Amino acid sequence: MAKPALMRHMPQIAHVDVNCFYASAERAFDPSLEGRPLVVLSNNDGCAVTRSPEAKALGITTGEPWFKLAPRAKEWGLVAKSSNYELYGDISARVMELLGRYSAWLEVYSIDEAFLGVKGDAGTLLPLGRTIKNAVRRHVGVPVCVGIAPTKTLAKLCNKWAKNNPAFDGVCLWEAVPHDVRDSLLARLPVDEIWGIAGRLTKRLNVLGIFTVQDLVRADAVMIRDRFSVVLMRTVLELRGTPCIPMEEERIGRDQLIFSRSFATPVASADGLRQVLSIYGQQASARLFKHGLQAKVLTAFAATSPFRQQEQAYPSVCVSLPMPTADPLLLTRAAHALLPHIRDGLKYAKAGIMLTDLRPSGNQSPLELFENRHEERGIGPLLDNVSRRFGRGAIGLGHAGIKSGLDWTMKRDMRSPRYTTHWDELPVVKAA
Amino acid sequence: MGVIVGPRVIDAGASLFSVLISPVAVAAGFPSPAQDYFDGRIDLNAHLIKDITSTFVVRVTGNSMEGAGISDGDELIVNRALEPKDGSVVIAVLDGELTVKRLRITATGIVLQAENPRYQDIKVSALSELTIWGVATRCLHHV
Repeated sequence: MAKPALMRHMPQIAHVDVNCFYASAERAFDPSLEGRPLVVLSNNDGCAVTRSPEAKALGITTGEPWFKLAPRAKEWGLVAKSSNYELYGDISARVMELLGRYSAWLEVYSIDEAFLGVKGDAGTLLPLGRTIKNAVRRHVGVPVCVGIAPTKTLAKLCNKWAKNNPAFDGVCLWEAVPHDVRDSLLARLPVDEIWGIAGRLTKRLNVLGIFTVQDLVRADAVMIRDRFSVVLMRTVLELRGTPCIPMEEERIGRDQLIFSRSFATPVASADGLRQVLSIYGQQASARLFKHGLQAKVLTAFAATSPFRQQEQAYPSVCVSLPMPTADPLLLTRAAHALLPHIRDGLKYAKAGIMLTDLRPSGNQSPLELFENRHEERGIGPLLDNVSRRFGRGAIGLGHAGIKSGLDWTMKRDMRSPRYTTHWDELPVVKAA
Repeated sequence: MGVIVGPRVIDAGASLFSVLISPVAVAAGFPSPAQDYFDGRIDLNAHLIKDITSTFVVRVTGNSMEGAGISDGDELIVNRALEPKDGSVVIAVLDGELTVKRLRITATGIVLQAENPRYQDIKVSALSELTIWGVATRCLHHV
């Protein structure tokens, strides 16, 4: 008997996330680290920012200072690595390029996670999830988990289950989880395990008797909106399966800053994208100044429109900046490294830049100038044009154009080679 | 006169390789005069790397692969996406190290072969016991 085709395949969202990304990137080139407790340290080798499962098992927490761990490292067999953002940036770009092959709609969410639009029923989505997981592992060498659900919030939740519950084998499809299992998992999950819910908010929810995700799902959405915010109400609706978190255009996280945007009219030339990337360079610079940060690594990416009958392309590049900077010119120039990868004639619907290896900008004071929406006045392209015509440094904004930060040589004693971005640091293979 | 311009998508099993085919005249009638103006210089990436996403460059140390034309200090282009086959030059993980060997898949088992009589072969009972990191596609030999 034929089933009605109507609404059989609602669009679903796959959330793909690299497991312990920095640690996994290290292991991809140094197999001797496999199975050993490993931590990746923050800038200046300050504290543990990524822990391998073995390091977690030792009770090491995120943010634990290295000077406390170092004395016991030998006894534990613990290996520490300084952060190697060139490597992480390149591996991230490769993962995103690969993911782009599996969906016409890809949202790079952070250095190690992305949302993909997918369609199908359990019979096709579960195998798709497994294919993605295996492909990233094999092609790029890092392990990922995949969560697939009708909304972003649920997809993230499924990904968490996929990671923490070996029975899922790294891929969790919301639709395929029986209702009673869902309920019991939700009832056990503290509310702060949900995307977007942290610290103070958790306490305020607890006061209302909302402790678990299950409690939140059952809460009155309107009450949540009135007492908290529309943002939290969206979370509640998303948990109930109604997609309502739109694509985000700008995010600043613990160690990264992302700008990406879909265009109202597709851009079909490298020249068009040059202008877009210039604007992002300016905006990113403004955000960095606002937060008193500088960046050392920039990734630029673009994506073709998923809705057009044309070949899809997801070019991306990772650029290691000569020094940590918030300089709009340097950032813009770095972003332009994407342009040779843009094919004239393809219609690009989206582009973005991601800044990583962020660090405080030392003694440079934030400039109010950058907080203006100067991009609307065309300053980004103007700066770029002037600098292209008269050379870099011919025009600069305040301190940024001229000076670099004071202390930009970081302590990175334990950094592994930059295997994929520096010719003199290639991985070594033994012929013995 | 036929000129192939533009993108072609080649379905290569599990993955899709986007390959840009540069304007090349198909031998039919006169060669295109426009061909002379094609201004792209030779791009080694385009010729040596099929799938940039899964391709890595590694450097060889040691001389156990000299018989295969791979010397100490040479660079290898390695594609992690390729399925290793009998006869492939592979990067295998041995004792936590990346090691280059010739893979032999025989009826009696798997052999990781050195291409130098002074080195021993390594026998493995099944491919599943072996971690193949990638398949070498080119050797950049220093002459």
